[in-house]
Amino acid sequence: MADIGYFALLLALVGSIYSVITFIVAAKGKHPAWNRSARISLLAVCGLVSISVAALVYALVTHDFQIEYVTSYTSRDLSLGYRLSALWAGNNGSLLFWAWVLSVFATVALLTKRHLSRELLSYASSIIIATEAFFLILLLTVSNPFQKLLSIPLDGMGLNPMLENPAMILHPPVILAGYAGFTIPFAFAIAALLSWKLGDGWLTAARKWMLLSWLLLGVGNIIGAWWAYVELGWGGYWAWDPVENAGLMPWLVATASLHSMIMQRRRRMFKVWNMVLVVMAFSLAIFGTFLTRSGIIGSVHAYSESALGPFFLLFLALVLCGSLGLIYHRYDKVKGEIETESLISRDSIFLLNNLLLVGSAFIIFLGTIFPVISEALSGVKIGVGESFFNYVNGPIFLAIIFLAGVCTVIGWRRASMKVLLNRSLGPLVSALVLAAVLFFLGIREWPALIAFPVCWFVISTLLYGWFHDIRTNRRTKEVNYLKAFWNSIGENRIRYGACIVHLAMALIAIGVTGSSFFEVEKEARLKAGESMAIQHYVLTYEDIKHYQTQSTMVVRATLSVSNNGKFVGKLTPEKYFHQNFQQPVTEVAIRSTLREDLYVILAGWNKEGAVFKVLVNPLVSWIWLGGGIFLLGGLIVFWPKRREITSNNDEPIPESKEEVPDR
Amino acid sequence: MLRQRKFLISGFIIFLAIGYLGFVGFQSSATYYFTVSELAEQKSAIHDQNVRVYGQVAPGSVEQETAGNLLRFTVVHGEENLPVLYQGVVPDSFRAGGDIVVEGKLNSDGIFQAHTLMPKCPSRYVPE
Repeated sequence: MADIGYFALLLALVGSIYSVITFIVAAKGKHPAWNRSARISLLAVCGLVSISVAALVYALVTHDFQIEYVTSYTSRDLSLGYRLSALWAGNNGSLLFWAWVLSVFATVALLTKRHLSRELLSYASSIIIATEAFFLILLLTVSNPFQKLLSIPLDGMGLNPMLENPAMILHPPVILAGYAGFTIPFAFAIAALLSWKLGDGWLTAARKWMLLSWLLLGVGNIIGAWWAYVELGWGGYWAWDPVENAGLMPWLVATASLHSMIMQRRRRMFKVWNMVLVVMAFSLAIFGTFLTRSGIIGSVHAYSESALGPFFLLFLALVLCGSLGLIYHRYDKVKGEIETESLISRDSIFLLNNLLLVGSAFIIFLGTIFPVISEALSGVKIGVGESFFNYVNGPIFLAIIFLAGVCTVIGWRRASMKVLLNRSLGPLVSALVLAAVLFFLGIREWPALIAFPVCWFVISTLLYGWFHDIRTNRRTKEVNYLKAFWNSIGENRIRYGACIVHLAMALIAIGVTGSSFFEVEKEARLKAGESMAIQHYVLTYEDIKHYQTQSTMVVRATLSVSNNGKFVGKLTPEKYFHQNFQQPVTEVAIRSTLREDLYVILAGWNKEGAVFKVLVNPLVSWIWLGGGIFLLGGLIVFWPKRREITSNNDEPIPESKEEVPDR
Repeated sequence: MLRQRKFLISGFIIFLAIGYLGFVGFQSSATYYFTVSELAEQKSAIHDQNVRVYGQVAPGSVEQETAGNLLRFTVVHGEENLPVLYQGVVPDSFRAGGDIVVEGKLNSDGIFQAHTLMPKCPSRYVPE
C-alpha cells in the first residue's frame, strides 16, 4: 500500500513536469495539439495524487502500522472519524493533503474556465502545476508520508487526545485548502502578465478563487480559535502565536484583495495594486507554512526544525522575485486609468481599508519575525508579547469595521452629504447615546467605550440601509416584505452577502471587546462541599471521581452552579490521562450564555480538595455567533447567479442599479 | 498633482499612526529571549527585567507543592541550569524533559520567578 502511494506520487511528479512544459508550449500557440495533451496530463496528475491519498487513507483505516505515519498518529482504539482525520494531523500527511487539494482545484479551474483565452488559461495552469510539482518533490524526498518502519509495531501511538475534538477534524483541512486555493488567483495574475492579457479577464477568473480561499481561511481561523478556547484551557482564543499569525496574515491580505478587486471591476483602478496583493496573499501562505514547519520562530505550536525550512524559503524567494520582477517589468501596460477624485468617496474608503488591512498584516509580520531580525542585527533575540499585537491591531481593526459601516452611505465617486446624513444620522446619534449609557452604567474602560458604540453604529447603518432597500424594492415591485427581502439577496448577492459579512465582523468585534476588557478570573482551593463566588455565580464543589475508559483515565470534578442565588446546573471540568501520552489533557467546563461564559478549569487535586480556576468571559458567544454569520455571508457572496456576467472581454462591469446614486 | 498629494499625505499619516501604535506597543511588551546559557552570561545586565528563557525541563527536578500551588523545577541548556519558581495553573504540555520557555524575572538570589510557562508541544502535536 505504501508502495502504491509512493509510486503514484512519483508518476504524478513526472506528469506534472510534463504538464508544465506542455502548457507553456500550448500557451505560445504554435502547436495547438499540445493543448489537449497538457490538459490530459493535468487531469492525470489529479488522478494520481488522489490515488496516493486513497492509499494513505486506506492504510490509516486498516491500521497498516508498517507505515511510520500511521503508527505515529493512530492507534487500534481510535474511532474511524479520527483515523481519517489523521490524514492531516501530521506534517507529511498534511502536505499530501495540500497537494491533493491543489490538484483538485487545478482541475476545477481548468475545466470551468474554458471560455478564457487559451493563452491565459495555459500559462495559469502551468504555474499551478509547477507549484504542485514543488509539493510533490517535498513529498517524495524530505516529507514522505509513506516512509516505512523496519519492524511493524503492534499498535500505533495514537492521536494526541487534545486533537480528539470535532473542531480539530475540520480546522486543518479548511485552513490547508484555503492556503492551497491562493495558488489559483496567483497563477492567473502571473499568467496575465506573461501573456500580456492585462485586462479584466484574469481578474474574473481569480476573483472566485480568492473568495473561496478567503472564506476557507477565515472559517478555519475561527474554528481554530474556538478549539483553542474549549480545548486548551487557558480561557483565551487567540494568543498571537506565530502559527496563528501565519494564518491571519494571508487572510488580511486576501480581504484587502477582494475589496480592491471590486475597485478594479467597477472603477478600473488599482490594477497594479491588485496584482501585488494577489502575489502577497500567496506568498504569505507559503511563508506561513515555512514558519510553521521550520521551527525558526519559537512557537508553542511549531514543528521542531525539519529539513523543510530551506525548501519553502527558496520557493518563496523564487515566487516573490519572479512575480514582483514581472510586475515591475510590465508596469506601464498594467496600470489603471482613473484616479480617485474626492477624498471622501467610496473609492477612498476602499483605499483606506486596503491600507489598514495591509498595514495590519505588515505589522503582524514584523512582530512575528522580530526575534529573527533582532538576532541578526544585534545578536540578541527580542520577542514581542501579546500586548504588542493587541495594542496595534485593536484600533486598526476597529477603524476597518467602522469604515464598513460608513461605506454603505457614501457614493462611489463623491459623497453626497445629504444622503450621508440621512442614512447615518440615526445610527450615529444612537451610538453616542449608547456610549453615554455605558458610561452611566459604570464602564470606564475607554477602548470599550469607543468600540461598542462603533460596532453599534456599523450594525445599525448596515441594517438601516438594507431595510431601506427592501422597502424600495417592495414599493417598486409591489411585493410583500418577505419577497422583497429574498429578492434583495437574490439580485445582488455580493452586496448583501458582504453586508452580512460586515455584520458578522461587528459581532465578532463586540465579542472580542467584551471578553478582552471585562474578563474576571479567580482561583480557589475547595474542599468537598465548599463554595466560591465569582461575579454573581456561586460554585459549590461536590466531589471528584476517577474512572477508566479503554485508553484513558479520566478525573472528573463536579460543581453545582447557582446564578444570583438560583441553581442553574452542574459543571464537570475534567482531566484526561491517555495511556500513550505523558501530558494530561484539560477538558474545560463551560456554561455559555449570550451574556457571558462561565469557564471552569480543574487545575489540581489531592486528598484535601481540588484547585479550580474560574473565569467569567463576557460576550464570547458573540464571537462564535459572528463566525457562523460570517460563513453564511461568505456563502451568499460565493453563490453563483444564474445569469452571471462573466467578462472575457475587457469591459468594466456596469454598476448595479441598487447602488447609492452619485449626485 | 494636488489630488495625488492629498492621498499621499493621508497615506503617510496612517503609516505614522500605525508606526506610533507599534512603537508604544513594542515598548510595553518587548522582552529579551535568552537560552539558559545566554542568561547566565547576562545575569547582572538584565536584573529585574522581564525576560523569556528557553531550555529543557530537567528530569527529576520537578517538585509540586500543592499547598501553595507552587511549582519548582530546573531548566537546563547546555552546561547551565536555572532554578525556576512558578505559581499558578500548570499548562498540560509541561513535562520533564520537554522544551519550555519561561517568562519572568531573575531574582537576586539566582532563582527565576516565572509568571508564565510556555512548554513546547511535542513536534507532532498540533498539525498547524
